[in-house]
Amino acid sequence: MNSKLRQEVSKLVEAQVISPQVADDIRNYYDSKNDTSPNRLFAIFGVLGSLLVGLGLILILAHNWDDFSRTTKTIWAFIPLVVGQFFVGYSLFKKKGVAWKETSATFLFFAIGASIALVSQIYNIPGSMPSFLLTWIVLVAPLIYLLKSQAAALLYVIFITAYACNVGYFNNDSPWWYLIMLLWIVPHYYKQLKKFPSENLTSIFHWILPASVLIALGAFVSGDDSIGFLMYVTLFGLFYNVGKLPFFADKKLRVNGYLVLGSLGTITTLLIVSFKWFWGEFNTSLVSSQDLIITGMLLAAGMTVLVYLFLKKELSPFNLFQYGFLIFTGIYFTRFISPEVPMILTNLLVFGLGIFAVRIGSSKGMFSILNYGLLIITVLVTCRFFDTQISFVIRGLLFVAIGAGFFGANYLMHKKQQKQNTSENE
Amino acid sequence: MNKLLITGGFIVMILAQWFIPGQMIYQQEQVLSEGTSYKFKTRPIDPNDPFRGKFIMLNYEMNKVKKPAEEVDYDQDVYVYITTDKDGFATATHASKTLRDTDQDYIVAKANGTYQDTLNFDLPFNIHYMDENKAYDAEVAVRIATREGILTNCYGLVYVKGDRAVLSDVFIDEVSIKDYVDTKE
Repeated sequence: MNSKLRQEVSKLVEAQVISPQVADDIRNYYDSKNDTSPNRLFAIFGVLGSLLVGLGLILILAHNWDDFSRTTKTIWAFIPLVVGQFFVGYSLFKKKGVAWKETSATFLFFAIGASIALVSQIYNIPGSMPSFLLTWIVLVAPLIYLLKSQAAALLYVIFITAYACNVGYFNNDSPWWYLIMLLWIVPHYYKQLKKFPSENLTSIFHWILPASVLIALGAFVSGDDSIGFLMYVTLFGLFYNVGKLPFFADKKLRVNGYLVLGSLGTITTLLIVSFKWFWGEFNTSLVSSQDLIITGMLLAAGMTVLVYLFLKKELSPFNLFQYGFLIFTGIYFTRFISPEVPMILTNLLVFGLGIFAVRIGSSKGMFSILNYGLLIITVLVTCRFFDTQISFVIRGLLFVAIGAGFFGANYLMHKKQQKQNTSENE
Repeated sequence: MNKLLITGGFIVMILAQWFIPGQMIYQQEQVLSEGTSYKFKTRPIDPNDPFRGKFIMLNYEMNKVKKPAEEVDYDQDVYVYITTDKDGFATATHASKTLRDTDQDYIVAKANGTYQDTLNFDLPFNIHYMDENKAYDAEVAVRIATREGILTNCYGLVYVKGDRAVLSDVFIDEVSIKDYVDTKE
């Protein structure tokens, strides 16, 4: 309990606003609450310290000390590992606090990497970066459950994403192991959701997990790149609908990574494919069956979440963002008619989504969403200026109209809110 | 989670974390102590690895052999059989897709395309880790020596046993590359 609050409580007792008994209760309440916070701070600094020491060790070992004999170097390869394992064992069996567990887990995480790296170095083992990362990740995976370490879990997600990128983007292969490793984290995430639904750390997982999937998905695209856009729109649709699950209903927007990534992703991807060149340069013969299967599975997952929301009666009021991926899938196949058809329909879809965002913003009284909708429409119009032959006058008038729309919409909502406030005060 | 499961899990984790590097060391040491040594003529270049440090990449002169009768796909493993030539360097005699019943030493190489009756391949032991201050100098020293024609031989000493081949060191004019760089400074 901070000293200012303590003084205030004493003043309240002196002024006979609260009884000494109540004052004691207040002090006890804050004291018990404060018990956990220094511990958490220790954990954060411990993890940061371990992270730096671990990374430093890897760099020091990467110097390749060739003055030492092979035996000496081999012993050095195991020293960080033994130290890390000792502290992990100590914090595990002595039932140490969070700070101990998180710090030792983080240290061991990097000690393992340093150890395998050094052995590879000593014996000139030419193993590729993906196989090195895979071995490292598999060896650290148990830390998440044994120590219930959040730091290890976050590092794990970052490393499996790096692995997927390495395999998919740099080596032109499909990172199937990524999916299995992603499954490994699911029980941990589920437990977080059940036990600590409002914790900050759980919120970090709501961001880092969809972000990881988002980055890794591109690594699976094997054929023509344009189906990748359909894949991504479907993924963003899935994210958006996950963000609409009852679990997130009482959560703030900044906690809901699924909804934010889903919405921003849908709009960004659709804006890219709203250009005519995209549909013109499409070659269907290059689409691989793997890409089609992944797209199909994402579509099925998105629809499953929609059906679930329908059964839970969470689909009303109608929200176009939730169906965007289904509509775009339909649009995608109209490209067999001519490139103009999907282009026009995509533009209409983005425009519709912009209007819907404005509507959601005005009905919820949220300026941020209202302006987000207006921004979508502005960017859409700006994009169209690049591939259409509209005269400068009409372009100018369009901008003026949208600018006026910005002022008008914000002003109207401001008035509406003022009116509500005054009626509430009365 | 009950205590037995945690203890068991912890022990398994510790053992696995020892087993993987331990196994790597054991396999390499076995080849180094029991394998046959060959000299592979090479040229080094200098790249970088974020975790494992600086290394020199080795371009071996021995990179082709007469195409085997079977069709070989790109990036497929091929068995390249080797022997020592009159100058003491490794030379490829023939290659096959499947392992043959013979005592001759072989390298499991990656096929890198075929041209007429020749099969090109990449040898697996093409990385030699070095002190970070020496890797680039080594590449430069070799380049200068090659240009001036004073470099008679630069080779990787590789021990071969069964499927495994371990690059033990790189020599320039019979001097280990790390010492060679020191003498040139």
